[in-house]
Amino acid sequence: MSKAVLVDVTKCYGCGACTVACKLWNGKEYDDAKKPTVGEKAQLTDINWTVVSKHKVTDASGKTVWRFAKKQCLHCEEPACASSCLVGALRKTEEGPVVYYPDLCVGCRYCMIACPFGIPKYEWDKSFPEVSKCQMCSSRLAKNEAPACVSVCPNGVMKFGDSEQILKEARATIASDKRYIKHIYGEKEAGGTAWMYISDQPFEKLGFKTAVKNQSLPEYTWKIINKIPAALVVWGGILTGVYMITNRRNAVKSSKNNENKGGKS
Amino acid sequence: MEKSNGKTGAVSRRTFLKGVTGAGLTGAAAALTGCKSTGKPAGGTGWTPQQYNVPENWPVQVRGRVPIDPENPSIVRDDKKCILCGQCIEACNKVQSVQGYYELPIKDDITCVNCGQCSLWCPTAAISERDDVDKVITALKDKNLHVIVQTAPATRVAVGEEFGLPPGSIIEGKMVAALKKMGFHGVFDTNFTADLTIMEEGTELVTRVKNALAGGHGGGEGGHHAPMALPQFTSCSPGWVKFCEYFYPDLLEHMSTCKSPQQMLGALAKTYYAKKKGIDPAKIVSVSIMPCTAKKFEAARPEMNSAGIKNGNAKMIDVDYALTTRELAKMMKIFRIDLTTLKDQHYDNIMGEGTGAAVIFGTTGGVMEAAIRSGYFLLTGQNPPELLFNLEPVRGLQGVKKASLNVPGVGELRVAISHGLGNARVLLDQLREDKKNHREPRFHFIEFMSCPGGCIGGGGQPRTALPPSDAVRQARLDSLYTMDAKMYKKRLSHENKEVQQIYTEFLGKPNSELAHQLLHTKYTDRGSQLTAKKKA
Repeated sequence: MSKAVLVDVTKCYGCGACTVACKLWNGKEYDDAKKPTVGEKAQLTDINWTVVSKHKVTDASGKTVWRFAKKQCLHCEEPACASSCLVGALRKTEEGPVVYYPDLCVGCRYCMIACPFGIPKYEWDKSFPEVSKCQMCSSRLAKNEAPACVSVCPNGVMKFGDSEQILKEARATIASDKRYIKHIYGEKEAGGTAWMYISDQPFEKLGFKTAVKNQSLPEYTWKIINKIPAALVVWGGILTGVYMITNRRNAVKSSKNNENKGGKS
Repeated sequence: MEKSNGKTGAVSRRTFLKGVTGAGLTGAAAALTGCKSTGKPAGGTGWTPQQYNVPENWPVQVRGRVPIDPENPSIVRDDKKCILCGQCIEACNKVQSVQGYYELPIKDDITCVNCGQCSLWCPTAAISERDDVDKVITALKDKNLHVIVQTAPATRVAVGEEFGLPPGSIIEGKMVAALKKMGFHGVFDTNFTADLTIMEEGTELVTRVKNALAGGHGGGEGGHHAPMALPQFTSCSPGWVKFCEYFYPDLLEHMSTCKSPQQMLGALAKTYYAKKKGIDPAKIVSVSIMPCTAKKFEAARPEMNSAGIKNGNAKMIDVDYALTTRELAKMMKIFRIDLTTLKDQHYDNIMGEGTGAAVIFGTTGGVMEAAIRSGYFLLTGQNPPELLFNLEPVRGLQGVKKASLNVPGVGELRVAISHGLGNARVLLDQLREDKKNHREPRFHFIEFMSCPGGCIGGGGQPRTALPPSDAVRQARLDSLYTMDAKMYKKRLSHENKEVQQIYTEFLGKPNSELAHQLLHTKYTDRGSQLTAKKKA
């Protein structure tokens, strides 16, 4: 059964416990000066698999409110990173996480270009760099535990469960409370993701990429890629035909020439 | 095709091709064997605390941590040291009733009363005070500046713990000696302004009580200039003040308009002291040593610049740096001063005298007891009877304490005391209820202290056993009462010679206009910065 997480942005007070849990569980370094994990300058980086970004939003009544958005890999249902990976170093698992296997990676970084959310990062500072991104604590999920970040949240910002159930809850919440924007970010974006968000403020003001198409990138590219075998056969056929015709012409030409030469000598 | 030119060391074509083919084969073999298994996925090499390693989202005892704004003037957190034990939430929620007592989503503020109890509970010291030691040391090195310091009552029974002494060790004289050794130009006692506070706050209380006796309602329909509502709340504890501003702004008219002793001394240092000593106030750097992290916030409040206004420079603030007891210990160690080996010294004159009534400000019930002693005098013109020098009902670590006493000519004076903000809610909710139903006020005077035990258990005090224990609090507060009863010559604030002197030479009389300018303050309704929960 595929798992999902629902993030309710309105419940977050920005303590950043989730970012600490991520660092603890995954043994990642801190670099508060250059790569802060919480606040207005928080950015996902090779060592920050999850961050809580702070946004000062002017709400409908003209008042400024602070909102905190927890960011990490969204774990697409049809991940573009995995489809672009030449060596299968990124794989979508049955439980939901899109997992990275560093032993397989050749460092081409196609995944970084493919991802519509700009999630995978590269360890530029290391001599033997790897691609780096949230694993949705796949090893915890294997033990039926929630991801570390979800486990430590004091406000229950994140709900972890079976994806159908989670989506149902998300729909019920935004339907029952009029403060919420009637949109579940991640339900359809990039063909749907395992992490979904609900909020009382517009997602574009919280640093979410809202221009992402609903169609998944692999689906989009498949439309072209699936024609390649046919195209190859047809193109091969055409070239073979051309080859045969020119070959035939040359043969005819040279035999004529030989005849002519022979006639003279 | 050329042959090898015969130079030694040159690689023949054959050798080169052999090498390339070998490497290629090895690489291909490695790639093929490698592809058989995916290897380990990234991450998951660390740990999380035990309570989080449970299936799904089961409830746990403690989860997560408190939010701390990076701009918080009092406390900072180092994420590298945080182990998500949840103790800060225990302190903030269960003890101080702040976290979890406001609705989500938040507005445009991270609700924090700056009390620093979280920093006391944090087992790894991930949360600690914002460190201002370097700034003070820089000021001390500047020959052009006149750096003065004041020490709060509770510091003198706690700082010794940082040097291995048992909790409650009384080291006032040694602490003064250490401060002088560090080069402070004036070492003053916050006890002096604690006595002054009693004069100002006591006079204010007498005014409010007399107003009520004269027929004015206790319900806040008093005069236009000064609030007349009864009960009067104490205002010495900046964490408590901010708590009231956040959660009970409707009751701010009950708050005494008196500044805290720290701020009174700050305001007087750059006016009275500067004038008396002939020092340019702009060159005075005012430092305070406090058992408290909220004092940093208080010193930075925009309205705490009355000396500046008086001196025609609104940017000059009354207290430049508020250090915690822990920072003082750190500073002594930077200066390589072993506190325990020093010979006792006395506070400097002008603002250095304090009474036993002032030193007990550092413990829960102490402000009340001090106020009762001098309030009795202010109301009757006579010194209080012996009983009021050991007012047992207001002493001790019980969360909410109540007492009443008969004052000749006034009748029954009813008082209450609470420490730890969770306990404050008991009295505050009751008062709100009473006011709604137009009942007579149950009390005339209520002492609120933010931290459990009062200042002796303040968020800036030495970290001891974990969690902060009542045994340590009791030892510290016992010492303050010992100092009051046995060590200080005087036990009544109004008998403080330097306090009497400042009134004759400078302020005139308690609650005079100048006293109001320098020693009293206004409060901010912070109710709009959060959505307080109706009943948490």
